[in-house]
Amino acid sequence: MRIVILSSSVYSETACAMAVRLCESVHVPVGAIALPAANRGTLLRKLGQWGAKDVIRYARTKLIPQRGEKQAQVRNPYLQPLLKHKGGIFRSLRKVAKCYDFPVVICKDQNSPDSTKQLKAWSPDLIIFTGGNILRKPLLDLPRLGVLNVHLGMLPEARGMSSPEWSLLNDVPVGVTIHYINEGIDTGPILQRCEFPDAARCASLSDLRNRLIAFGIEKAGEVVANLDRGAISATPQSHLDEDRQFFVMHEWLQARASERLTQSQSAAMAGR
Amino acid sequence: MNGSNDNAVPGKLFKAMTEATGLLRRPQRALPLIQRLVSDKLHSTFEQRHLCSYTTTKRPSGDALNSLLRWIIDAQRPDGGIAAYYSLLTGYSQSYPEVTGYIVPTLYDFARATGDDRAVSVAESATRWLLSLQIPTGAFPGGLHRGPATHESQPSVFNTGQILQGVVRAHVETNRPEILQAAVAAGDWLIKVQQPDGSWSGPAAYQNAAHTYYSMVARALAELSDDSGDRQYGFAAERNLDWVLSHFRPSGWIDGIDLQGHPNYLHFIAYVLQGVLECGILRQRNDAIEAVAKSSWVLLRKFETNKFLPGAFESDFKNGQHFTCLTGNAQMSCVWLRLFEVTGDLRYLNTALKMNEMLKQLIPTRGGRGIVGGVSGSHPIWGRYQPLRYISWGNKFFADALLLEERLTLAFAASGAFEALRCAS
Repeated sequence: MRIVILSSSVYSETACAMAVRLCESVHVPVGAIALPAANRGTLLRKLGQWGAKDVIRYARTKLIPQRGEKQAQVRNPYLQPLLKHKGGIFRSLRKVAKCYDFPVVICKDQNSPDSTKQLKAWSPDLIIFTGGNILRKPLLDLPRLGVLNVHLGMLPEARGMSSPEWSLLNDVPVGVTIHYINEGIDTGPILQRCEFPDAARCASLSDLRNRLIAFGIEKAGEVVANLDRGAISATPQSHLDEDRQFFVMHEWLQARASERLTQSQSAAMAGR
Repeated sequence: MNGSNDNAVPGKLFKAMTEATGLLRRPQRALPLIQRLVSDKLHSTFEQRHLCSYTTTKRPSGDALNSLLRWIIDAQRPDGGIAAYYSLLTGYSQSYPEVTGYIVPTLYDFARATGDDRAVSVAESATRWLLSLQIPTGAFPGGLHRGPATHESQPSVFNTGQILQGVVRAHVETNRPEILQAAVAAGDWLIKVQQPDGSWSGPAAYQNAAHTYYSMVARALAELSDDSGDRQYGFAAERNLDWVLSHFRPSGWIDGIDLQGHPNYLHFIAYVLQGVLECGILRQRNDAIEAVAKSSWVLLRKFETNKFLPGAFESDFKNGQHFTCLTGNAQMSCVWLRLFEVTGDLRYLNTALKMNEMLKQLIPTRGGRGIVGGVSGSHPIWGRYQPLRYISWGNKFFADALLLEERLTLAFAASGAFEALRCAS
């Protein structure tokens, strides 16, 4: 199967881990397209949108990995088993590509003509989205099977942003959904819904997110293998007529979600 | 707030000239004006529009609420009425009966939440002033205060309804018979001039036309019905509710705001929604609550997606203008919070919390009396809705939003879940 990975940056840990997971299961991508990590245009645009304080934080997260190849730790510790490589750590998609021999192309916009032209040349069966722009129809129509996304929530119950937090507050099972992207927000056909069994073991909301990302990558690897064997098909989502989209959660509600997580921990401890 | 009936071109010209010469009469106002213009220019240039802009609390709500109420108390005129606005050009306006009326419930709510008795004494003197303005027919006059009430005073349906909200609340708080008598007289007049289809039009309506935002009058009648126990006011409220509901489009847009010479400001759209929602809750009308939920969701999505609600729209929420009407934003926050209370859907609470964060960031913390704690008509301050003014009804609605936020978040945090009101669909 011809697979292409779309990434928000060559330094995206999620993209690196996804690429390694695919390569280890003998599905080496035919290529990857990444957005530029930090250039002057991006920084100026983000300065206008975010303000100086957040831009400094953004630049720090993007620049430190470039200098910090020697660093042993990764930001998401649950990805470390995948990112470990010959005593070091895969910190860039380029390093993964070099190791497993596939090309990485940098494009300013994943929907741009350059990106589309490159994708056409690779003629992918499947594109795996790990971050970046909102994808437009011409790109979505390119791969034979579709563009696959790992959503950190159970669909259709938890569409949109802050899904793990909303799931906790709304008493919806925490989990991930592997689905095809369509023109709506998290409304594409579902390949697999996977409930996360270890939510009660998570120490915090960020710990839960990190574990869900690792869990999602593992499940996506299984789905790709099943797609390759023709053993899985997508099911259209129900409740498309209802607006089930959630938006970024305010910190006050995040604190309540965190309390729910603590309560579920206590309940799990009491049950043991 | 409804505009005055005096809409002729010479009247507008006179108003513009008065505003323009304000600085000549008091040149010391130039500095705060320039400060605010520069500050808004910088803010609109470097505005944070990313998804997390308003998800963190940068100013405590209690602090902002105290500052809002302090502004209202400072705006009380010697006659007992509250000024309509503080203009950066001309200073405080005269007392404004309509706004004074519907600020009264906010003052009582604030006093109850904080134990601050100053708000109660402001509410009591405001009520005394309002009762002195009542026309013998039972109606209240329109426009800014221009002297004692006489038979010649021009009655206004909308202002009577808005003042009725305050008078009913004053009766609930004080249980004084003369206040109930005044409320009943106003309610009787409103029923008398109501059209058979439930709307209000004719000489006592703004521009002689029927408007859907008069749902706020229906809300006042529903409150009077609850307080007085007289069902005729409730039936009159529902007649208007039915008429307003017939103007809701499937897209969520509401026809019939119909203000000639003005765009469809968010303030008036939110009035329709607030009136229908509160009336719907009081009368247990699920059809009204569902209609409001649909329209409010359209605006919620717009705010969540763009981190901005345009100050005015064309039909079907199209072509939003490039300024924001802060009063309308505060009203929408109230609508979302009440919808959360009614439906238990946390997404309404989430968006209202973010809206309140945005509004808190736009309240001046420095400056003189009339500026600190004031809610400007538009952001940036030169926007089309009430330019260069801090308006008292903006403070009222934002204070309402913060009071609601405090009540609902305390209830949610205490129970861990939220029990929807009995009228929930």
